[in-house]
Amino acid sequence: MAERRTQSGIPVQAVYAPSDLDGFDYTRQLNDPGSFPFTRGTRAQTAARTGWIQRELSGEGSPTRSNEQLKYLLAKGQTGLDVIGDTPTMGCLDPDHPFAVHAVGTQGVSICCLDDYRELYRDLPLDRITLSHSLPAAFALAGLYCVARERGFPPAAVRGSVIQAPYYCEDCSYAVHMPFQLRVRMAADTIAFASTEMPKFHAFLEDTYFISESGLDSVEEMALGFIEIRGLVRELLRRRLPIDRFAPRIAILLNCRMDFFEEVAKIRATRRLFAHMMRDEFGAQDPRSWAVNIAAHTSGLSLTAQQPVNNVVRGAIQALALACAGVQAIEVSTFDEAFRTPSPEAHLVGLRTQQVIELESNASQVADPLGGSYYVEALTDDLERRIWDMVQAIEAKGDAAQLSDSGWFRGVFQAAMERHARAIADGAALKVGLNVHQVPDAEDVLLREVAERKIEPSRERIDWVKGYRLHRDTAALRASLEGLDGCARDRDANLLPGIIAATLAGATMGEMAGVLRRAYGHPGDPFGVASDAI
Amino acid sequence: MRPIRVLIAMLGLDQHEVGGLAVARLLRDAGMEVVYAGRFNLPAGIVKVSLEESVDVIGLSCHSWEYLYYVDELLQLLHEQGLDTPVVVGGSVVTPADARNLLDRGVGAAFGPTAVPAEIIAKMIQLAGGRT
Repeated sequence: MAERRTQSGIPVQAVYAPSDLDGFDYTRQLNDPGSFPFTRGTRAQTAARTGWIQRELSGEGSPTRSNEQLKYLLAKGQTGLDVIGDTPTMGCLDPDHPFAVHAVGTQGVSICCLDDYRELYRDLPLDRITLSHSLPAAFALAGLYCVARERGFPPAAVRGSVIQAPYYCEDCSYAVHMPFQLRVRMAADTIAFASTEMPKFHAFLEDTYFISESGLDSVEEMALGFIEIRGLVRELLRRRLPIDRFAPRIAILLNCRMDFFEEVAKIRATRRLFAHMMRDEFGAQDPRSWAVNIAAHTSGLSLTAQQPVNNVVRGAIQALALACAGVQAIEVSTFDEAFRTPSPEAHLVGLRTQQVIELESNASQVADPLGGSYYVEALTDDLERRIWDMVQAIEAKGDAAQLSDSGWFRGVFQAAMERHARAIADGAALKVGLNVHQVPDAEDVLLREVAERKIEPSRERIDWVKGYRLHRDTAALRASLEGLDGCARDRDANLLPGIIAATLAGATMGEMAGVLRRAYGHPGDPFGVASDAI
Repeated sequence: MRPIRVLIAMLGLDQHEVGGLAVARLLRDAGMEVVYAGRFNLPAGIVKVSLEESVDVIGLSCHSWEYLYYVDELLQLLHEQGLDTPVVVGGSVVTPADARNLLDRGVGAAFGPTAVPAEIIAKMIQLAGGRT
């Protein structure tokens, strides 16, 4: 028989016994849920029964259409919202950008200005649900802040999160075409702003999900995640922001692949590593700064276009692992993700998967149910060691800006993509229906019809935004963009007040991003085809 | 004889590269030369690179529906330039109905997510060899 290994290639034994946990110390390594080092969970056991936030990644077409989609999911029992932008939005481009024409609204919501945020959140109880955003953080936070105030909800009471990915976004599907220093500044400014103005909001949601969808293994995923967290923490400390002011609102959005026990162990190891790092290295004193909130998406990369119904099974296994690991929020990647933006049917299956696990399996009524397993504890220790070793090794290579600019990070992602493809091609990684237990195409018909339904680009948004531009107070708009420019050129200022002022004056995200890029010596339009706002 | 040269590109704002890089690796391993144009290409840019690099096949890797709209423009531009470079479309979002439709529109080959490596390599060789 082949050597036993986890999905990340960690050697494992046929069976584990007490001898594999020599010197095991319950209080030091685990402790009770809610107690340092939080291996078993961030909350005390009595609170663990409240379950997790159940949500599906959504957003399609215009903000109005996305708002309807959000209301549909809430009506089906979803307990939080999770919105992603379309590809132009994720790249800080407006819908009327020449490159956006065939991509508006097909893979997420098209959103670029204050009117759009008003529509997206229309009628939603901003004080009662959590709003999670996979959108360019500084602009999305500004949009939410303005709408909350306008509707009479104190921003300080708004809960939710926005992803941060300044180190890696250019290399992994979310390129915003901005230099490293500006990306880091925007992330740090957003986090600093939220720490005083929106203290219940997780503006520091480290997103290791999307970077690992290139094929990173669990160790690489978390090591790169810690590299980015540590970089941003150091940047915020350099600004003399007290660690306990922002650390309680650091959260991680991570990936859950198919290796059930490895993913559970990864999450437990991550909580322990984070707690030690915050307390022992960064000197945090507030226990809330030691306990990191974890949200997760089940892996889209683990899904197959072949026999898509098998993806329902994959989602259930992954979500069960997350329930056993004890996370704060789950999103199940839909069974049709391998070939399309989620259909309403697939969204509902993802949500129902979570509801079945929570309400029928009883898996989550006991905190950390796998704690004490010889295997899970040995694997947790092993992962903790490997992740930390990789963090040290990367930091020894030098400064993150240089690693980013020189393409070193990109090389890591590229190697992972090629490794993943090879493992599938040569059968080292088995995927049912893809490279083992295949069926002829003619037999592969179940749930197939949803693949043929496509989302048309929302090209009406192009004319809409052009019209929007014409009906603004140009003097006020110009003044606000010049204000943002001045703010950007003052490297010690926080960009958020400038972004909020420009948003209120009617500026679009594309215009503001252009101002910021130029203030850092880059072309306002990364593709050199659109004109500058001022 | 010089090896077959294949351009691999993504269209528009489609940023997913997992498939494109996998196919690039596959073709290189099969002895072909790959000109990797990466992300953020419009049809005009693809035609320009394919001319400059004198590629034998243009391969478009798709994980968004943008190709549905860009392919006709690309074929038209190639035609206007008097180029007969075959265009191959591949990707997770290409369904059997899409593949039939693409062939009708003049694409040389279309591969969905169930395509096997040997099939892709054989088709590339056939398309490259069939050029005048």
